[in-house]
Amino acid sequence: MMWSEKYRPKNILDLVGNEEPRKLLVEWFTKWKKGMKPILLVGPPGIGKTTLANLIAKQYNYDLISLNASDVRSKQNIQEILNPVLGNQTIFGTPMIFIDEVDGVHGRADYGGVEAIIKILKESTVPIILAANSDLSKKMQNIKKSVQTIQFRPLPPRLLLFYLNKILQLEDAKISTDSLMKLVKESRGDIRSMINFAQALVTGYNPPTEKSFEVLDVEGGVNSFYKSNSVDEARSILYSLRINPRDKINAFYSSIITSKMNVDDMQKFLQIISSADMLYGKIMKTQQWRLLRYLDAILLGLYKKNLPIRYSKYNLSWPILNRIRWDGAKIKSLMELFVKDMHVSKSTFSSICLGFLLFCVKNKKIDLELDESLQEIIQKEIELIK
Amino acid sequence: MSWIKITMKFDGTCIVCNQKVKAKDIGLWSKGVGVKHEKCAEKNEELKCIMCGGLAGCISCEFIKECDLQVVSKLCICKKCEQEQNSFDFYKNSVMKKFPVLNLKI
Repeated sequence: MMWSEKYRPKNILDLVGNEEPRKLLVEWFTKWKKGMKPILLVGPPGIGKTTLANLIAKQYNYDLISLNASDVRSKQNIQEILNPVLGNQTIFGTPMIFIDEVDGVHGRADYGGVEAIIKILKESTVPIILAANSDLSKKMQNIKKSVQTIQFRPLPPRLLLFYLNKILQLEDAKISTDSLMKLVKESRGDIRSMINFAQALVTGYNPPTEKSFEVLDVEGGVNSFYKSNSVDEARSILYSLRINPRDKINAFYSSIITSKMNVDDMQKFLQIISSADMLYGKIMKTQQWRLLRYLDAILLGLYKKNLPIRYSKYNLSWPILNRIRWDGAKIKSLMELFVKDMHVSKSTFSSICLGFLLFCVKNKKIDLELDESLQEIIQKEIELIK
Repeated sequence: MSWIKITMKFDGTCIVCNQKVKAKDIGLWSKGVGVKHEKCAEKNEELKCIMCGGLAGCISCEFIKECDLQVVSKLCICKKCEQEQNSFDFYKNSVMKKFPVLNLKI
């Protein structure tokens, strides 16, 4: 189980840091009545904005209706989900609306979303909490006119270290002082990422030393992944592999496709790569970068102990690549020779005429006077059509 | 944490004083953190220890380079309180005492 989930605060008092903003939110909630301005929580990721909204709903016995970055937040969708809540409270109990990462509402994918949110904010009949990482964009300026803003701040590193030490104590785990310091510094006030990295370190394949923080290159990453002795070890390698997600997917794809393995494994792995590719496609299309956190979890399915998979840069086997590279060049020169006389395009020649030409040569209907290398490729192609 | 001097395109909220940084004014901006007034950037108040109420000892803190005092959450812990026995429980009790409103029992 992820430590960030295991140690997710159970009540507002369990959160660490940002005491003043927490107090402001609780006071707002205690005083809340119809017509009061909704609340916007602004602050860097991983400091507990979402957790706080969830806890406050739970502790005040509200039914939380939340829209996060993975939902489509277009005008139509927002109205479909939230308008019934605003109109029929008795059916929905005591609802509270939480719109997470409101600064991530996308102009195109979530067309009309911001306007729909502003309309709801102005006519709020239930408590509404919004959360955003930044309030500086133009759309946030428009939203801010209708809300009361509470600023959250990153945590001081020493407080982070204090909290992390508590978790390590509860887990009966140890990390060297150097690594602890580096971990806290690199988290930059983000509790969630700090806890995740600490877990990766503790359960990871390397002893918790300075070196384990080194970012692996793609070759080292894929090879270490398949050499790992456990899923936990493979997971920590995946987390260390900080490269472009597209390159990560490609690296696994090319390594798998060029390795010798049984058909069932290959089928399973390609299915996983396909899921990862679809997720990344969705992220790129909708700019919901929040979903990126699930990519490694999907790719972890590619791990199986003692598989002979090693990193390979090319997504085709060497004989096929060789054929494309060398035979392709010869076919190209053959093509250039014929297209002028036959008055056809290169693509027409290669897709239609070449096949007929080969059959004619094979059946000795025509005798081509070509140099040796081109004769050779024609013979090779004839062999293939057999 | 690097701060870039910018001419504000829109109104923003200073993360130090919580006041407006108006559009067209000069502000200091850091990605993922926010903006602050130039004047506020010069202030360098030490953090307070939530447990004992004294100063947190930022000058001698091992994280002094990484900790942007104007940006981070205002209450930290001092070395002495950190080394107390059951310091985490002590921390929670201190938060409860100073912010009783957070101790919701509903």
